[in-house]
Amino acid sequence: MKPRILLILLAGSLPARCLAAAPEVEPALSWWGYGELTYDRPTDHPEEARFDLARFVIGAGYRFDEHTRLQSELEVEHAVSSSSDPGEVEIEQAYIEHDLRDDTFLRAGLFLIPSGLLNENHEPTRFHGVFRNFVETAIIPSTWREGGIGVQHSTANGLKLQAGLTTGFDLSKWDAASSEGSDSPLGSIHQELAQARAVDFSAHLAVNYTGTPGLKVGASLFTGGAGQGQAGFSGAKVSLWEGHLRWEVGDVELSALYARGRISGTAPINLRLLGSATLIPQSFYGAYLEAAWRGLAQRDLPLTPFMRYERFNTAASYADLGPGLTPAAHPERRALTVGLDWLWTRGVIVKADYVDFTDSGGGDRLALGLGYEF
Amino acid sequence: MNRQLATALFGAPMVVLLAPAAPAVAADYLTVGQAQQAIFPEARAFEPVTLQLDERQRRALSAAAGPQPPHGQLRAWRVQGATGPLGFFFTDEVVGRQDFIDYALGINADGTLRAPEILSYRESHGGEIRNAAWRRQFARRADGTRLRNAIDIRNIAGATLSCEHLTAGVRYLALLWQLALQPPGASTP
Repeated sequence: MKPRILLILLAGSLPARCLAAAPEVEPALSWWGYGELTYDRPTDHPEEARFDLARFVIGAGYRFDEHTRLQSELEVEHAVSSSSDPGEVEIEQAYIEHDLRDDTFLRAGLFLIPSGLLNENHEPTRFHGVFRNFVETAIIPSTWREGGIGVQHSTANGLKLQAGLTTGFDLSKWDAASSEGSDSPLGSIHQELAQARAVDFSAHLAVNYTGTPGLKVGASLFTGGAGQGQAGFSGAKVSLWEGHLRWEVGDVELSALYARGRISGTAPINLRLLGSATLIPQSFYGAYLEAAWRGLAQRDLPLTPFMRYERFNTAASYADLGPGLTPAAHPERRALTVGLDWLWTRGVIVKADYVDFTDSGGGDRLALGLGYEF
Repeated sequence: MNRQLATALFGAPMVVLLAPAAPAVAADYLTVGQAQQAIFPEARAFEPVTLQLDERQRRALSAAAGPQPPHGQLRAWRVQGATGPLGFFFTDEVVGRQDFIDYALGINADGTLRAPEILSYRESHGGEIRNAAWRRQFARRADGTRLRNAIDIRNIAGATLSCEHLTAGVRYLALLWQLALQPPGASTP
């Protein structure tokens, strides 16, 4: 794409039919990107302070014709990816989108699942706080993408419907010796279209309403088999549903989200894993309330203070294994985050926040961040 | 996934796909002529305008318009009504995230705005700006040269860049009107 700046308006001598014609649309290549640097200092363990180039993403789009386009994003996490470094190189999105009608399009490839407020809008300039909230990382495993097909339909009054048939989770990836499943049950078994097992497919449906300015309310459901035809995992299934709200009222921006997931068919698997550190939970959930105040921005001070309260549990229950064998549910985690976002300039944001876990599990931290999007 | 669930999940969207297209003009792509009629239904004629900004005007426009996304082709028409000039009609293109949003705006003779219309939207996310309720926020506003997204115009979560850039485009056009098209002697809104 070559943006054209025309300060001279078109000559009045152009024929009327030319002025009334639809704008010409040519095949176009476009680039975009975003990134975030984070510094976090755990209060109880300052020796674990980290400064990280958490994400560096380059996106490329290509418009084949007026109705068919490619969207793709290449991401490097944690700066360096090698066998001795913590980084990863990932394709975050790569899909073809084709308009079926002006208000409906079809999508095929690797794309983000429409779940929650953040997964499809995860760029650092679009959420409050240095890190993404706990619920939309531990329960909804953002950045969550699957491969398959999807359809999106929007109505004139602000209703958006999204549905799709995609790859799903692979429970045979569960690592009972690691704590990864406790951190994010679904994040530990997602496949990200990396030679993803595709015996069981999953379906999703999302509904969002934005017909009233300042309001977004919606819900989504994702469900599908997770055994992927692997011996010993038959009957395993994953479901995740959530509801969310964002509402701008005067100077205040309010957000709320509740998400709940379930992994069924885990009892025979967990019986084989008894004695391991991390068994597979049957249910997990999370919810948060967030308020941000734009009163300073109203006065042209680009500062937005915010506060977020979260409750979540990555192992709220386990399938019954019999007396003395069924693991105890994990305690619920409760976190209060207070922070400040400073919009340095359009597309560049500086953030600071403090997380106070109000339960007794520890994890309080101070964090600073720099993010950008172009 | 069992059959009943699959039916429930995909049945509803398929019904939507098979339904007739929504008749609401505002949600569909418009031609320039359709947008002219939608924004100035009482107009008798649209006269193309040629405008050459001098260096001073360009600098003033650039300084006052605030952060701007890349713009594409910009056109303007003087709008004539039954009893005299009604104002100006513009079409402009601003980049949403990576592709142009084509939109049209009307500015009345007194400088107040008419709600913009979306002619074309080409991106995956952000198409919610076609919602009539969001666009109506601009109507009758006299502060077009100072509009800020999420402050003066309520944002749509998930369509932030589109909202921000279209608002910036409207601000640019309002300033352009004020600098170069405002009738002599008219008070600045």
